[in-house]
Amino acid sequence: MLKLLEQIRGIVNKTQVFKSIFRHGYPDTDGNRALVMFSNVILHLHPVRVQRGALKIKFTWCLGGLTFFFFIMLAITGVVLMFYYVPDTRRAYNDIRDLGTVIYFGSLFRAVHRWSAHAMVFSVWMHMTRVFMTGSYKPPREFNWVVGVILLVTTLVLSWTGYLLPWDQLALWAVTVGSKMAEATPFIGASGPFGPELGRNSGNDMAFALLGGTVVGQSALLRFYVLHCLALPLITALFIAVHFWRIRKDGFSGPL
Amino acid sequence: MADNKGNIEDPDVSRRRFFTLMGLGVGWGSIVTALGGAGLGAARYMIPSVLYEPPTVFKIGKPENYGIGVDTKLKKERQIWVVRNERGIYVMVAICRHLGCTPNFFQDQSLFRCPCHGSIYDTHGNVVGGPAPRTLWRAAISLDPVDGEIVVSFNTRQDPDPVGTPEGLMVEEAGREVEPYFLKV
Repeated sequence: MLKLLEQIRGIVNKTQVFKSIFRHGYPDTDGNRALVMFSNVILHLHPVRVQRGALKIKFTWCLGGLTFFFFIMLAITGVVLMFYYVPDTRRAYNDIRDLGTVIYFGSLFRAVHRWSAHAMVFSVWMHMTRVFMTGSYKPPREFNWVVGVILLVTTLVLSWTGYLLPWDQLALWAVTVGSKMAEATPFIGASGPFGPELGRNSGNDMAFALLGGTVVGQSALLRFYVLHCLALPLITALFIAVHFWRIRKDGFSGPL
Repeated sequence: MADNKGNIEDPDVSRRRFFTLMGLGVGWGSIVTALGGAGLGAARYMIPSVLYEPPTVFKIGKPENYGIGVDTKLKKERQIWVVRNERGIYVMVAICRHLGCTPNFFQDQSLFRCPCHGSIYDTHGNVVGGPAPRTLWRAAISLDPVDGEIVVSFNTRQDPDPVGTPEGLMVEEAGREVEPYFLKV
């Protein structure tokens, strides 16, 4: 049995398809390990050389990786949910109800999406706390801290825009409160400091741009849907790529 | 084999190798099971259990509302033509048998002409011109025993094999005017 498996492995390893995917054989020498890292799109995110201490679980708690895992989970389950959800005020709530009651595994996919969203917000904060506590934001990694702050903001805005989509009372009033906060922002809100002096009114301020109107209605739902499903995930993915690239270039910081 | 009693060592598989293989088997087995289960769940998810589509069985009013000839008033709403001849009523599905467009009825010619590729049908549904390979479908109809209205079953359709003639693709009309595709009213 084992001999047969070995034989099969020997044949498979020699095929053109296998050799075109796995180019450097089993990574059992330092040189080969580095080559495997360089030539694999996923592994190359990781620096080729890291300090032993930087990989201690008690140093990183894998929080950045967990955040990325939740982002991937959200992207997959989000696409799945898009097959049944229509951002129309007359049917959005019913589509969410259908996901919970008449579509097989609909409540599972929705629950995974919802809990992953909560978990991502939590793990982003924990990741930032860890980076702050271990001083990993210090030069030469200060630019990556700034990228991380942008990612924190896009995560929170993704969470907030997703909040409106079920179109229930919770969603409506949460976004009403949020748009009032936009309205009260200095300079860009109609009722914020220096807003009226700069000519901001309810027809041209930040809340108006966000809602596409003056009330949380159809245009607000559509705007939040497009932001949640298209614009913000793309922006987030772009900054995640930059974030990982900087880690790759700057290397992991070691314990203090 | 007789004198290896008490010897649990197998020269082919060392203990370390055995546990390595077991670990790999359990690990990859779990991953394949989890991903396979998620994949099957996602596949089932894609098959909706409730449809928000127009009903395929519907009432179209009483037979006496339909006079001799082709009635086109339900074409837009229900995608059907109701036809009455001297013997009774039948319902034709307003879907061209070439590539599925909706033909138009021309009262002056007594012909259905498809705007997409020029298929032409007569009032029986026979093909008298154009690329259509089959005659028009007729939908199953019955009378509601309670209120006497015609009930159309849109997806139960009559589709006889046509015979090629110099005039086109024809079907014997007597064979088509049978239950449940024809009402003698």
